[in-house]
Amino acid sequence: MEKKYWQSFGALNQSDAYQKDVQNEFKEDIPALSEDSNLLEAKTPRRDFLKYLGFSTAAAAVAASCEMPVKKAIPFVNKPENITPGVANYYATTYVQDGDVVSVLAKVRDGRPIKIEGNDLSSINGGGTSARAQASVLDLYDTARLRFPSIEGKEVTFEAVDKAVAEAMSGLTGSVVLLTSSIVSPSTKAVIAQFLAKYPGSKHVTYDAVSYSGMLDANLATYGKRVLPSYHFEKAKTIVSLGADFLGTWLSPVEFSKQYAAGKRINEKDPSMSKHIHFESVATITGSNADEKYTHRPSETGAIAAALLAAVRGEAVNVADEKLKKGIAAAAKALNDQKGAALVVCGSNDPSVQIVVNAINEAVGANGTTINWAHTSNIRSGNDAEMAQLVKDMNAGSVGALLVYGANPAYNWYDVPSFVAGLKKVKVSISFNTKLDETTELCRFSLPDHHYLESWGDAEPKTNYFSFIQPTIHPLFKTRQWQDSLLKWSGATVDYVSFLKQFWGAKVGGEAGWNAALEKGVWQPEAASVSSTAFNGAAVAAAVDTARAAAKKDGLEVVLYQKVGIGEGQGASNPWLQELPDPVSRATWDNYFVISPALAKTLLGIDLSNGGQADAYEVNPPKKVIEVKVGNQTLSLPTLIIPGTDPNTIAVAVGYGRSAKTGKAAEGAGKNAYPLASFNGTFVAYHAANATATLTKDKYPVALTQTHFRYDTEQGNRTEVMKELTLGDFKKHPSEIYDERAKELEPWGGIEKFESDGTIYPVFDRPGIKWGMSVDLNTCTGCGACVVACNAENNIPVVGKTEVMRGHEMHWLRIDKYYSGDLDNPQVVFQPLMCQHCDNAPCENVCPVAATNHSSEGLNQMTYNRCIGTRYCANNCPYKVRRFNWSDYTGSDSFANNQEGIISDVTMDMQDDLTRMVLNPDVTVRSRGVIEKCSFCVQRLQEGKLKAKKESRPLEDSDVKVACQQACPTNAIVFGNANNKESAITMTRMDNKLRTFFSLEMLHVLPNVNYMAKVRNLPASEKHKAEAHS
Amino acid sequence: MSLLKYESQLREPLVNGNKTYAQVTEDIVRPIEAKPSKLWYIGFYISVALLMFGVYSVYREVTYGIGQWNLNKTIGWGWDITNFVWWVGIGHAGTLISAILLLFRQGWRTGVNRAAEAMTIFAVMCAGQFPIFHMGRVWMAFFVLPYPNSRGPLWVNFNSPLLWDVFAISTYFTVSLLFWYSGLIPDFATVRDRAFTKLRKRLYGIASFGWTGSTKHWQRHESLSLVLAGLSTPLVLSVHTIVSFDFATSVIPGWHTTIFPPYFVAGAIFSGFAMVQSLMVVVRKVFALEDYITIGHIEAMNKVIVLTGSIVGIAYLTELFMGWYSQNKYEGYTFWYSRAYLFSPYGWSYWGMMACNVLSPQIFWFRKMRRNLFVTFFMSVLVNIGMWFERFVIIVTSLYRDYLPSSWSVYYSPTVWEIGFYMGTFGLFFTCFFLFAKYFPTIAIAEIKYVLKTTGESYKADMTAIEKESASDFAHKVHAH
Repeated sequence: MEKKYWQSFGALNQSDAYQKDVQNEFKEDIPALSEDSNLLEAKTPRRDFLKYLGFSTAAAAVAASCEMPVKKAIPFVNKPENITPGVANYYATTYVQDGDVVSVLAKVRDGRPIKIEGNDLSSINGGGTSARAQASVLDLYDTARLRFPSIEGKEVTFEAVDKAVAEAMSGLTGSVVLLTSSIVSPSTKAVIAQFLAKYPGSKHVTYDAVSYSGMLDANLATYGKRVLPSYHFEKAKTIVSLGADFLGTWLSPVEFSKQYAAGKRINEKDPSMSKHIHFESVATITGSNADEKYTHRPSETGAIAAALLAAVRGEAVNVADEKLKKGIAAAAKALNDQKGAALVVCGSNDPSVQIVVNAINEAVGANGTTINWAHTSNIRSGNDAEMAQLVKDMNAGSVGALLVYGANPAYNWYDVPSFVAGLKKVKVSISFNTKLDETTELCRFSLPDHHYLESWGDAEPKTNYFSFIQPTIHPLFKTRQWQDSLLKWSGATVDYVSFLKQFWGAKVGGEAGWNAALEKGVWQPEAASVSSTAFNGAAVAAAVDTARAAAKKDGLEVVLYQKVGIGEGQGASNPWLQELPDPVSRATWDNYFVISPALAKTLLGIDLSNGGQADAYEVNPPKKVIEVKVGNQTLSLPTLIIPGTDPNTIAVAVGYGRSAKTGKAAEGAGKNAYPLASFNGTFVAYHAANATATLTKDKYPVALTQTHFRYDTEQGNRTEVMKELTLGDFKKHPSEIYDERAKELEPWGGIEKFESDGTIYPVFDRPGIKWGMSVDLNTCTGCGACVVACNAENNIPVVGKTEVMRGHEMHWLRIDKYYSGDLDNPQVVFQPLMCQHCDNAPCENVCPVAATNHSSEGLNQMTYNRCIGTRYCANNCPYKVRRFNWSDYTGSDSFANNQEGIISDVTMDMQDDLTRMVLNPDVTVRSRGVIEKCSFCVQRLQEGKLKAKKESRPLEDSDVKVACQQACPTNAIVFGNANNKESAITMTRMDNKLRTFFSLEMLHVLPNVNYMAKVRNLPASEKHKAEAHS
Repeated sequence: MSLLKYESQLREPLVNGNKTYAQVTEDIVRPIEAKPSKLWYIGFYISVALLMFGVYSVYREVTYGIGQWNLNKTIGWGWDITNFVWWVGIGHAGTLISAILLLFRQGWRTGVNRAAEAMTIFAVMCAGQFPIFHMGRVWMAFFVLPYPNSRGPLWVNFNSPLLWDVFAISTYFTVSLLFWYSGLIPDFATVRDRAFTKLRKRLYGIASFGWTGSTKHWQRHESLSLVLAGLSTPLVLSVHTIVSFDFATSVIPGWHTTIFPPYFVAGAIFSGFAMVQSLMVVVRKVFALEDYITIGHIEAMNKVIVLTGSIVGIAYLTELFMGWYSQNKYEGYTFWYSRAYLFSPYGWSYWGMMACNVLSPQIFWFRKMRRNLFVTFFMSVLVNIGMWFERFVIIVTSLYRDYLPSSWSVYYSPTVWEIGFYMGTFGLFFTCFFLFAKYFPTIAIAEIKYVLKTTGESYKADMTAIEKESASDFAHKVHAH
């Protein structure tokens, strides 16, 4: 035994009190400041005071000295395989969230996934991503993730929880039900089948928060199978959408955007494009992109579908509203003109409406052309009736165990109280969800699943299109894949990884085939084909009647919709998505009632056609709160007036009002709108008639990133900012835009010589590389994927609602939205705007310290550590793309954490060591008081140049892809070296000479970003018609 | 004595009362030697309190960031630069009075030049706070100085008007300070000579640089004054011209206008004189200096106010005209909607400016109004409010809605710390001014004495008797007198 030395009895006995004492470094109270005496009563206040004064002065001096705290990076002693410090690895994996599937590459730096890129090899999303896929990497580092398994909220081990579950499940009365969101993984389906087989009488209920049950049921009725087909928007010359937001939130928006853009991409030599006619109740990005758009009551969707069917068949159209009637006639004509290349989609969850839509598609020959049954879609398979039955069963006490994965009915089921009451009667409730969401909170057992970036898995979004998931980081917390749990509980001896390998081994060609498939991330065993399926029209006549009968004539109606970022509510706890402005309303951090200008006039007393009133509404963030009552549900929210909304409709986004336990970002953001939905026995309806709205006295601030939505003013139409025209005009006068530019610049040398003749200063040659970007406004849908990609790539801070409200958001890339035309139903254009990298930049010459300057490659660069923050550059930027660090948003000040109460909790949360793991080490984290802005992803440019240099060859297009360009699902952004005659950017500019323009070109700032005008598939405008006649 | 010293009887005397040299000294030095009044203490403490509030406001801004202010992505400058330009403008009157009026031989300047110069210096000190503390990283402010450094070829950007400001204002401040101080030397000597305590003697002795009043001293003093006046004269015009370049050389509609330099200079003199009025009306009363700062002085300055106010008014109208005539939609929008349309979000500020700067000074076409102390004081405050609005209008209404409607700003209203900073500069200004009034001769003693015999009331009265006689006689007697 070792010899023991001791100084006191406490030390000898190691008593508790002694232990505590030892831990406490400062045993005695600070004399003057002990609790029960104040400074003056203390024994030696003056001397102590002087001591403290001296100490604190010295401490402050030390803290405030020029030295910033040094954090040391310790090198690897042994270099791990495949990890080279400073070099990124890319792993192919798949973003899967409740049925949404995007094949992606995860960029991993030093063992941390930091960025999601689209997988170019995928034939579905082909390199494109969505805002949510881009933001998903931040969820990995979410501080609100569940970190360990628990029983009734107490941390336990997986062994313990397995044991407890086994005990609970044995001797269970009542059925075992597995409640999940749509499952797209074939191997998981096999695991589930194994599990269900173990428990007789058990079943699997699939529940989608925003359900496509009606569509599935309609397909069952007319095509005999309860599945969704895949769509080919690219083959459709005519697209009619009845409220389906297929570019934003409907089914597979990334895929559809890509297809849609293919039909909208214009060839100047022979201009033609698809025609898109849109009917909707609330303004969405799809409606904004449409060539023609009509608004209607939500309840009228079925009647419109029925009328369209009649019109397509050449029968009389029975619609009272003149505008709608015209729209239906136009849609029917356009569909009939393009039989075999026409497509109708509908966002309704009513099976009878979808049956009518199926009938229209059948009539216009979509089946087997634009609608493909050869590769059916698996991304949604929920069944509302089954879910409703489950809730009933739970309340009846016949459900013994409920295992929840992905689904969150305690938040998003239309009748939360009955689900919650039912759940209380279920003996064994188990949640596999990754966060303490509303449902998990109520479950007895919580076995958090991995984040997808930590997981193994697979996905089959469409039949025979496979995409694989592989882990990119060791699990951060004590989590376990839920498939492992199921396997364990069903008595299997293999874990899920082995199961997965076994599952695929034979199919993909053994170990080597599996590795190859994992490397590519996608696997498509057979060539894509298109086929039709037999249509059974028996149900159509009855469906038409039901659909027609649903239409209401009067009263207000409420419709629920999804936002691009938040979706069903999964995005609510993601700060990037909360701060992503909604493409249509440009609002962040909240949901609100969306109403039309006409309704605003009567309900709010705000007349948007009155300049002063419109201004007052726009410039003040507090918006009037209204209370909407549907049945016995009421909801009070602020109102935003969005032109393009139906005058009888009040729309509200779902996905808000989440529990604060799901994350700081969700806290206090909006209110839950799901209770306004209803269930009629077969499907959940996301709209309600007979609503009443009353104006309250309250006002509630909404954080908008854009206040004004029109580019025409009384003083003139600001066409230098934005250019759009109709296809008819473009055909008649292809060079309209070019001529306009030429005329404007004529006094200063015309387009060609404007650079030299527009200035009295000498002009420099620009040899070597000259970076340039081109944005096609025709294919940009405004989805916002680029904005989030930019956030992730460039470490752009999240500032939170209060700061956005003060105009302090930091986005380097924003998507401006402009209306034109009629106030009630305007046309909408989106314009992504980033730093234009002007060759004659007004920001550069006003900086007193030359902190922003021009590179020899045409970049307008920002030197953060030279910047003193005068903001003169931001003032003098005509595009207002420069962003100032108003507060210490990144925690990079020398006084750490002095921003408590100054910046939002979300921003503080983003400074957590965990969340900071998402930061891109190649990009400087900016400190308080400096300006920042788009750098054209200079870190990527350097990397690309270096790569080319190492291979001793000139730079190629493939070497460099900037983040926004990479993320864009429609390839609207082209980037490259404009000095290279063969580069994509040069070719794009040459091929689209007639549509190319530079925003605010007349200022002679010489931007390096050009735009290509938006062309809408409409006939020639009146102006040009008149010209043609004269 | 030459005929040149003769002053027409039509001109009012510049010094009232039967003052002798001794009385002049006595009147002006008395407040320095006496204990300050209660009023002085109250005023001083209020000023110090304001200053402390300002210091705290700046402390918050430096510690927590510019986010303590309500500026935003569109409005990068708001109250900060508005206040800067406003204070710089005020700082124009002093040098104008001392330099340009000296060169033009305007005798009336002697009554007010000392205080006006002091005001200039304090105003420029206040103005300087804003460009310094509006920086996001004020601890790096020394980057604006072109000093040899170890950063290789890194140098300041001589293209930037903000850098020109640095030079213009520091030069102006230096020259004004020298000019003011050189004038103070003989007066300090006077105070020293009357001093009754050792400390006083010593301090004023140091301050007066060993002035003995020898002819050589006077001769050098006069030359120096002339040289400094010559140096200052172009500065009066250049400082605000350069400040206006901050805006005029930019691309922002509403800023990018060639009219700015003369318009800014006129505005500066306008506001400077108004500030001198505000102070003089109070000072002459509090320190019983009505004999030295006469109604005639007040009237002369009111004339300058109505002149410069009208120049400024013409500039406003010219801008509006150009907004229409150029047919530039961006400029048209800024001038005709953002500013001139009363019901636009900031329309009130434009019309506030118009009312205070253009309409109300027209009252000074009436002699009675020019000589009314109450009206003068009220108007001088009004003019300074108007001139503050002018800078606010130029900066905020141009920025908040520029080229891209997508970036148009939400409503900008200052935070308490933004206002606090402004209040703090008032504190600084008045703290300095109270100290000045207590410890410095507020009126240039030597210069008053210089004009006393030609324009003092009693001397003029003597002359009147002589003038009543025949002209030939008069000429003879004047020589003899």
